[in-house]
Amino acid sequence: MASYDVRTGNAATAAVIEIFGDTAHARIAYGCGGECTISVSGPEFDRAIPDFAVRNFVLIALFATPSPGGEGHVLRYVFSHGGSILVLLREIAAKRATSIATIFPSATWPERECRDMYGIAFEGAFDTRHLVLHECYPVGFYPLEKSFANAPVTRLKTVNPADEYPFRNVRGDGVYQVPVGPVHAGIIEPGHFRFSVIGETVFNLEIRLFYTHRGIEKLAEGRNPIECTKIAEAVSGDESASNATAYCMALERLSGIAVPDRAWHIRTILCESERICSHLGDLSGMLTDVAFALGASQFAVLREEIFREHGKLTGSRFLRGMICPGGVTRDIPDGTLAGYRQYLGRFKKEFRTGLAIVLSTTSVIDRFAQTGIIRKNILGPLNVTGPVARASGSERDVRVDHPYGIYDRFVPTPRPLSDGDVLARFTVKAAEVLDSLSLIEKAIAAMPSGSVRGTDPVRDGAALALVEGPRGENLCWVEVRDEKIFRYKVRTASYCNWLAIEHAVPGNIIADFPVINKSLNLSYAGTDL
Amino acid sequence: MVNALSCLVKKKVTGTLPVRDEEIENLGREIRREIDTRFGHSLAIRELDAGSDNAAEIEINNLSNAYYDVERFGITFVASPRHADVLIVTGAITCNMAIAAQKTYDAMPSPKFVVAVGDDACDGGIYKGTYAVLGGAGKILPVDLKIPGNPPTPLQILTGLLALMRSAGKKD
Repeated sequence: MASYDVRTGNAATAAVIEIFGDTAHARIAYGCGGECTISVSGPEFDRAIPDFAVRNFVLIALFATPSPGGEGHVLRYVFSHGGSILVLLREIAAKRATSIATIFPSATWPERECRDMYGIAFEGAFDTRHLVLHECYPVGFYPLEKSFANAPVTRLKTVNPADEYPFRNVRGDGVYQVPVGPVHAGIIEPGHFRFSVIGETVFNLEIRLFYTHRGIEKLAEGRNPIECTKIAEAVSGDESASNATAYCMALERLSGIAVPDRAWHIRTILCESERICSHLGDLSGMLTDVAFALGASQFAVLREEIFREHGKLTGSRFLRGMICPGGVTRDIPDGTLAGYRQYLGRFKKEFRTGLAIVLSTTSVIDRFAQTGIIRKNILGPLNVTGPVARASGSERDVRVDHPYGIYDRFVPTPRPLSDGDVLARFTVKAAEVLDSLSLIEKAIAAMPSGSVRGTDPVRDGAALALVEGPRGENLCWVEVRDEKIFRYKVRTASYCNWLAIEHAVPGNIIADFPVINKSLNLSYAGTDL
Repeated sequence: MVNALSCLVKKKVTGTLPVRDEEIENLGREIRREIDTRFGHSLAIRELDAGSDNAAEIEINNLSNAYYDVERFGITFVASPRHADVLIVTGAITCNMAIAAQKTYDAMPSPKFVVAVGDDACDGGIYKGTYAVLGGAGKILPVDLKIPGNPPTPLQILTGLLALMRSAGKKD
């Protein structure tokens, strides 16, 4: 994968040499995605972390895996820097590590997650509450430990008030709390929002999630890698194609499986179509939440039509069962693709008409503008990603920064805006619908002939993969041993972006919460796993 | 500024509904008839995500887009379980959602119906027998009807609801 080496040769490697000294050269290895990898000792790690922060490295993932030997664990700190990826490997023996959450806030959730799933304690952590496992789970239960065979556990059926999850306590004259969820008023996934309100204005918002924790990662362990594509599709329903692509890419990299060109064209069409579908839902939802039914209804109709087109293309409205290791499970005939292209021509007209109506309606603009602002300075520390970040001035897009498949030939055009409010997110997503549409048209026009599935076998190994899903950067780590999945780590864009909502909502009124929430379009299932 | 008078004087603009699906129209007519005779002209549904991957919710939401627009057949999705005749459960019941799911059901007035939508809600699906879920909705709630699928399409959900109403009628 020479094209990746060229990229990673730069920023990350240079910084590693500066920080750890020239001797580090010999210890640097490159992963099969081209990421710069170096194993560091505890004292080395503790000394170096502030240096990485000073150099504006962004911590994009942190996860644990059991050590190859069986004893101990390996922590992987994945950083993004200047278009390159760095992985710091830190082996720990007694389930003890140092917390870096005060330096890299995006480590807060992953550290709590490692504690819940493996029992790893992070010294100096400012937040040691449970994250994934709620009060109903027995004490000392660590589901991802290899010693635990996946089977039902005895759950607690009632919770003493003293054992309930402690929310941040906000006190003062006139402050009152509004607890919302986990079951919400609409047809939406479950989660809890704790608003501390003064008058009508939200003073503080704290979220609590993981109600839909289904044990996705454990579910994959010990299975045949080919079978696990359907588990990847179940990470988040509306991102089935993206998450399946990320999973298959990791498998293909670690096994050296070649994917035919036609298969990548089909994958790209499906993933971009999934983005259109997801964005249409957001555009429609945002308009519903400001009571502009006309616009909402127009986009909802277009979305239904895209769902039906998906059915024609793949037999599944959610594009399921198509993407597989090595390519796609079956070809889409050229005639069917031509039909889709024809539909998209009509779609474009309707979409533009709807958009013009919305953007010339003052009551909509009035509700969208200056609502739920996400400032640029929190993007790096929280690792905010995707269209949400691009509406706050970021130019990050995996398709451009780390092109995979055919994105080196079909380059999307990032259109960042800087206002960071609901209006900017609406506008960025609308522009991305049209951009994806043009990518699909180009991919169909350039469709090569040939097979759609490589036949190389899956081998043992490990690999990291990044894709740009509808919500942003989805990362996955796949480790195969003895032809079975040893570790499947998923970190979706939603997992990163959720904490941004705690910054976007304060200062707004509760009545604007739904539209702010919708403008971020966060998947609960994709976060809770 | 809109001149209030112009609203009265100006010619009203109307157009034909741009979408029409005969299969849904026929199904809708039958649903309308059942709801009128059995449920006093309206069927109130409360949706509960007990651990879904969000695909089933999207399809249930789609029932309100202009292609289906199920409200015209007498089906409404309500915000509170206290207003609901039917509880639609999606997803396998996760350990983390079990208490909330039970409370939601308990808050509904009787008589009430439970419909499991999607493979995971029907019997636990791919999560069956794992640590994080209890299993399908039937593990803690009395399920009246199962609508399988990954996820079921809006049309399959509507067909299922019609079957529920018909079987409810026979119980009388």
